[in-house]
Amino acid sequence: MFSLRLPIPLEKTLITSLPKTSTTYSAYSGMTRFQVCHRYLSNSITKRGTSVVAFQDEVDGEIFVDAFQDEADGEIFVDEDFLEVDPLPVELQPELMPKHVAVIMDGNGRWAKMKGLPTSAGHVAGTQSFKWIVKLCYSWGIKVLTVFAFSMDNWIRPKVETEFLLNLFERSILSQVEECKRKGIQISVIGDTSKLPKSLKSMIANAEETTKENPKFQLILAVSYSGKYDVVQACKSVAKKVQDGLLHLEEINENIIEKELETNCTEFPYPDLLIRTSGELRVSNFLLWQLAYTEFFFNKKLWPDFGKDEFVEALSSFQNRQRRYGGRH
Amino acid sequence: MDFRDGAHNLYHIIVAIGYLGLQLLWYFMQIIVSVWYHISIVGKLRYLAVVIESEEAHQTSKVIKLLQWLDSVGVKNVCLYDMNGVLKKSKDTIFQIMKNAKSIEEVNEDVTHHAPDHMTLEFVSYVDGKEAVAKAANLIFVENFKRHDIGGELDHQILLESHLNQALQIVGCKGPEPDLLLVYGPVRSHLGFPPWRIRYTEIVHMGSLNFMRYGSLIKAIYNFTKVRHNYGT
Repeated sequence: MFSLRLPIPLEKTLITSLPKTSTTYSAYSGMTRFQVCHRYLSNSITKRGTSVVAFQDEVDGEIFVDAFQDEADGEIFVDEDFLEVDPLPVELQPELMPKHVAVIMDGNGRWAKMKGLPTSAGHVAGTQSFKWIVKLCYSWGIKVLTVFAFSMDNWIRPKVETEFLLNLFERSILSQVEECKRKGIQISVIGDTSKLPKSLKSMIANAEETTKENPKFQLILAVSYSGKYDVVQACKSVAKKVQDGLLHLEEINENIIEKELETNCTEFPYPDLLIRTSGELRVSNFLLWQLAYTEFFFNKKLWPDFGKDEFVEALSSFQNRQRRYGGRH
Repeated sequence: MDFRDGAHNLYHIIVAIGYLGLQLLWYFMQIIVSVWYHISIVGKLRYLAVVIESEEAHQTSKVIKLLQWLDSVGVKNVCLYDMNGVLKKSKDTIFQIMKNAKSIEEVNEDVTHHAPDHMTLEFVSYVDGKEAVAKAANLIFVENFKRHDIGGELDHQILLESHLNQALQIVGCKGPEPDLLLVYGPVRSHLGFPPWRIRYTEIVHMGSLNFMRYGSLIKAIYNFTKVRHNYGT
């Protein structure tokens, strides 16, 4: 879904000098098909036998990576293809699908380090896994997907990395807003946006406004988010209502606070299933209030390596478990 | 015949000695492993939370056995949680048997820094989670409005994370954030454990309390000691 439109220097991409192939693919207007790279020396940012088709803008030389070709059957995946419905695997039961899945996309940096690549390459590779999971959730009847894109705790990372991440995020969303609107995907963003660049804030507001009508599927992006921040801002909202005379102090209880949490932007605010990759076994300040009865699925794969098979495993595990909600909901 | 009887008896004696020797070796190895785990754990696992599914929490003898195992490996600070407060009702029984255990309310100093001569037990249920946060928030609002009534400023933005932390202490939620949370029950969920306390807590599902194993417990705790926390970096 999110194309890899990155104006990054060629030496920092994964593209090596390989001869062009005769793969037929209609290039974008004003662009030259640059090359097709097959797994560039085992440092592929794709998985399971796909190649990257890269394009270079004829005017400014900017490099775009916009398509992937499956090496087994030659099928090409482009941005327009991602929302083609993927059939539900036979091992999953449609009536037992979770309504809301939350994902902590962990492991991009470690993945890049393992492959001897810069951290940025890991984040780029991670967008493909993200693309996959959005497509699969959309295809398989899951109503809400919440992803932990950027934590409030991540601000302590090097500025170069945070700027790259936010830039990647901005470009990815910007390029897909109209497509999301067309397909009925509502984009919502939760988190403390006060620290975000103005352009990103503006883009978020535009994306939310553009995609809010008639949604079939909701994608919630947690950016600069913290579970504790969510609770605190909910309490502040409650305090404002008391000050404005809309609420009495005696009426304040957990239900009142819950209604003010940022996940109130969806009909299904409580995740049924939380997936975290890279083998870490914690929630890292994500949706603290909302996870009371959420099933946890911790997977050892690093996020760029998390694909359809792993997602099916998570959903299968969820469907096989006994959920009781502790007698309270 | 006498020779045969003698050989037979000698055989039995050798087998018995061998069996005794193997048992002694096994106990010796257990002691070595326990001491090694104890050394690995001390200082790294400062506070452990145990979540038990309420139906299984009625098995007080198993809960006590679990606590005894934890005590034996040097885990001295334990928070016991079940949603419906079953463990709170078993508190007296547990303290009768765990004679070296004290309640967290009795410990004045920082609970993670007390002398290791006793266990500290905290009993928590659903009301100490979200409901406690609501009470804490209410406390802050009441204080704020009181100040406004006597001429102070009314500022709904005054509420910060640190204020909630302090207010939670006042309403009785004194326990720190656990380093590790073990879940006993059929569901891989923390079942409403106080959300304010699990930001960076490692969560491990242990299966049903009916099938708890000492080895699994040690393994879970030991694996925790090998974890490197990034805290967002």
